[in-house]
Amino acid sequence: MGALSYRSAARIALRDMRSSRGKFLFVIISVAIGVAALTGVRGFSSSFRDALLTRARSIMAADLSARMFQQPTPEQQKGLDAIVAGGAEMTPVTEMLSMASGEKKFDPLLVSLKAVDPAKYPFYGDVELSPAARLKDVLTADTVVVADDLLVRLHLKTGDSLKIGTKVFRIASVVVNEPDRLSGSFAAGPRVFLTREGLEASGLLGPGSHAGQRYLFRVPQSGGTVSDAAVAEMKERLEKLLPEAQIVDYRETNPALTQGLDRATGLLSLMSLVALVLGAVGVAMAMRAHLQQRMDTIAIMKSLGARSGQIMKIYLLQTLLLGLSGGVLGVALGAAVQRAFPYLLGKLIHVDTDLHLGFGAVWTGLAAGILTTLLFTLPPLLDIRAVRPILILRRAVEESDDPFVVGLWRKVTKNFAQVGAALLILAGLAAIATTLSDSAEVGRIFALGLAAVLAVLLAASSAMLAGIRYFLSKTRLRLPSTVRHGLANLYRPGSPSAALLAALGLGVMQIMTVFLVQQAVVTELHVTSAPNLPNVFLVDITKDEIDGVRRLLKAQRTVTAEPELLPVISSRIVAIDGMTAEQAKLKNFPKRMLRSINLSWFAAPPVGTKVLEGAWWSGDETRPVVAVDEHTAARLGVKVGSRITFAAQDTTMAATVAAITRSDGQHTYARVSFLMPEAALRGMPVVWYGGIHADPARVGELQRVLYDAYPTVTVINVAQALETVRAVVIQITYVIQFLAAFSIFAGVVILASSIAGTRYRRIREVVVLKTLGATRARIAAVFSIEFAVLGLVAVFVGVIFANGIARVLLGRLSVTYRFHWGWTLTALVGTALVTVATGWVASYRILGQKPLEVLREE
Amino acid sequence: MIKVEGLRRSIRNGARTVEILKGLDFTIPQGQFAAIMGASGSGKSTLLGLLAGLDTPSAGEVSLNGTAISYLPEDKLAQVRGRTIGFVFQSYQLIPTLTALENVLLPHELNADAKESGLERARELLKNVGLEDRMDHYPVQLSGGEQQRVALARAFVLRPPIVMADEPTGNLDSANGAHVLELLLQMNRREGTTLVLVTHDPALAGYANRRIVLRDGLIVADEMNPAPAVLAGYAGSAKE
Repeated sequence: MGALSYRSAARIALRDMRSSRGKFLFVIISVAIGVAALTGVRGFSSSFRDALLTRARSIMAADLSARMFQQPTPEQQKGLDAIVAGGAEMTPVTEMLSMASGEKKFDPLLVSLKAVDPAKYPFYGDVELSPAARLKDVLTADTVVVADDLLVRLHLKTGDSLKIGTKVFRIASVVVNEPDRLSGSFAAGPRVFLTREGLEASGLLGPGSHAGQRYLFRVPQSGGTVSDAAVAEMKERLEKLLPEAQIVDYRETNPALTQGLDRATGLLSLMSLVALVLGAVGVAMAMRAHLQQRMDTIAIMKSLGARSGQIMKIYLLQTLLLGLSGGVLGVALGAAVQRAFPYLLGKLIHVDTDLHLGFGAVWTGLAAGILTTLLFTLPPLLDIRAVRPILILRRAVEESDDPFVVGLWRKVTKNFAQVGAALLILAGLAAIATTLSDSAEVGRIFALGLAAVLAVLLAASSAMLAGIRYFLSKTRLRLPSTVRHGLANLYRPGSPSAALLAALGLGVMQIMTVFLVQQAVVTELHVTSAPNLPNVFLVDITKDEIDGVRRLLKAQRTVTAEPELLPVISSRIVAIDGMTAEQAKLKNFPKRMLRSINLSWFAAPPVGTKVLEGAWWSGDETRPVVAVDEHTAARLGVKVGSRITFAAQDTTMAATVAAITRSDGQHTYARVSFLMPEAALRGMPVVWYGGIHADPARVGELQRVLYDAYPTVTVINVAQALETVRAVVIQITYVIQFLAAFSIFAGVVILASSIAGTRYRRIREVVVLKTLGATRARIAAVFSIEFAVLGLVAVFVGVIFANGIARVLLGRLSVTYRFHWGWTLTALVGTALVTVATGWVASYRILGQKPLEVLREE
Repeated sequence: MIKVEGLRRSIRNGARTVEILKGLDFTIPQGQFAAIMGASGSGKSTLLGLLAGLDTPSAGEVSLNGTAISYLPEDKLAQVRGRTIGFVFQSYQLIPTLTALENVLLPHELNADAKESGLERARELLKNVGLEDRMDHYPVQLSGGEQQRVALARAFVLRPPIVMADEPTGNLDSANGAHVLELLLQMNRREGTTLVLVTHDPALAGYANRRIVLRDGLIVADEMNPAPAVLAGYAGSAKE
């Protein structure tokens, strides 16, 4: 078998392609757009993600941090040394409270010291100093860098001396922003940076000192980025090594940002898949039309003794060549698109994305392009086997008038190769989706979802055709002939309606899904990047001061939102589910921490806090019930129904866990992990914490006013750090919107070319109509009706599915889904219009053709 | 040798089943030139399709040189077609994207042993039909007569024992028709093939050794022609 050499097959394939350049250009462009969207979107989003992740890491100044409560044992030290020897970097950060005073006056102030190694700290982000300088250049064993409010309170200036413990330091600079301000402890007192040597020289690190120690880690990079897997692995290793320490990775520091990123990434990989499948649909449509046109050639070859395998070889080579050309063009286009993104977005994005079109991306793009092209052309290629050579003698081959689905079913039962092809396509798509999204689950869902949609679309198309047929049989001669002809066109034998409907419906569904998910995610991101979140925190407001502070804040014009004030009761946990604190089995929660537990009261879940399990109590609840934050609950090993015994001063109280909560990390309330009803805490000693939003540029002014009225209240300014987060989240929304728009645009182009691809089949019909005296306008009207009906049915099914899929997807991303009437109507009308317009444009040339040119070829 | 036994063919057209061939039996011995005649719709082309294995009968059997072909799997059938039968069609049926030479070479590429090149043979045949200067032309660049001559060359390239022609002059003017027929008969003689010619033209059938006449799917006449017409006279009679 197979005497036809690859060379001959390739030659025939090439000749065949050359004879219909226009059509193959469509195929190549379809593949290219799909691949371009894939490589462009993926490439850019991965660069952008890297840039954003670096920012997210800068909030912790590291990939991981381990909060220690005692010196590591020699054993543990050995383990840490091994981690460093393995390429990771580590630097200790020591934080403690102390008193500081000017050298001359003895007017001591409680300050929060932070001792770092300026040569290493921070691993990510920068410590901003005023005047601008690098931390490692100004911070030495004899200098400190201090917050602005220390200078205000102690009436000092840069260059003056500051006494801490037994040592006198020179104030070298003012710290404006430290990257890990949000993840460090919010201790009272202005910030003072010093070196570790400086801290040791101050004599404060004696035995029994209350220094908190954090180790910051940077995971070794591979290929310029730190993989999440590497971070997770390191986290696990550290948790084993330091069971008493609290290990946190950079994702936990700012849920809004990491969640935004996760959503963006999920959405972007969805969009890549969509682009690819749309491209493949375009290719399948074009190849189908092409092979239909080549029926005669195939029949001739068969009559000359060609076996189906040989002919398939020719067209398979052709497909490969098309896939390859489209793939190469697409990768090039993708690279261009990727370069264009930052340029187009230049004004909006200030993240330096390190653009790199790696070999990986190129190969993925090429392989995905060729593979999807092959997969989707498999069914039409297999149809070659069914072409009967008798076609060249007798054109009227047996036509069955079975409805499409019955026909399809017969095809399926008779033709196991087609069933195999369908399964192969599904498996291939699942594999591609899995590779692209790095998740087998996504792959499976994607492939199965696609199969389900196709099945429904095919069923819908047969229902529609049956409906139209019935309608026509009842009304046939009463309808205007244009309408009658247009509708009849939909189910004429060999009509591409079913395939086109499937393609259109699939396309509309995908475009609409991207749009809906994008809308919802962006809306949600806008909420989390809302400009009024607290950016200044007040610590240690007494019961007597709270009303005064409230009034003062209300009078400040710099305070732009309702202050979030939170009562805090210091307590300790003495037992969990009957086990004493000493016996309790904790997971990375130092036992020592059980002795400093903050409780607060709320009648309803505070803003930004959601109940995950259990239920919140009613307003008049007096029993001791408690809501516990999910992370704390996991570390303490408590569930809804567990009993935690708290002790505050002389009172002991056993509370039942009523709810597990999740906080968005944006509000002051997130600072307390245990919330109870007010009645249960009545009479206990309370201090208040506050979170306010102030104009970032005028926080200094507010600090001064507060200090004058309430000198003991500590003000912590995180405005700068929060602005960073907000800016990043806003950038994420821009990128999502931009990339979604690109995917949608690509989808529309591909769908338009699918519709255009069917025009070759209409030539004969147009010619006959013209011969019978039909005007161009009339033919155009007939086609418009046909296309409009197709478009409407497709968009109807597509929109229903898009909403369903968006709902599921958004549910998985924990984003609220809403149905949009406006958008749905726009999609309905828009698709119908685009379908008709494309059909028109594509048929324009045919309409101008002289009948004889075609008839002569018959 | 072609042997036909109880051959029937019906086609389903929507809900209706139309019987085109209603049970035919005949044998065409090796080397015979048989003309199958009949009016339009009599079933000639359907019969040719079945004889050539282009189609599957509803009942009955066709054997070519002792091989029953009617129910062979498609790929085996393709092989039989390629090696046993050469075709000449009314509308030429050249592959539009291949040159004249490539068209003639195609059966060789599809069927023959890849080791031997059919190029020489293809060139020689094209020279025989007077197209040595047009070998690299595409079908659209050739006249109808030239295209049919390319088809003739293609039909003989693999030295098939049987050649089937379906109204080979039907689309040509008389001069070109005569030329093509002359070439067909010449090549048939030279190669010693069995020739089955389907036509509705009695004059054309006059050149055959035998005439099988179909009407409504049945053979109404099957007679030997003791004195086949000679070529020189054809040119004139074809004008009718």
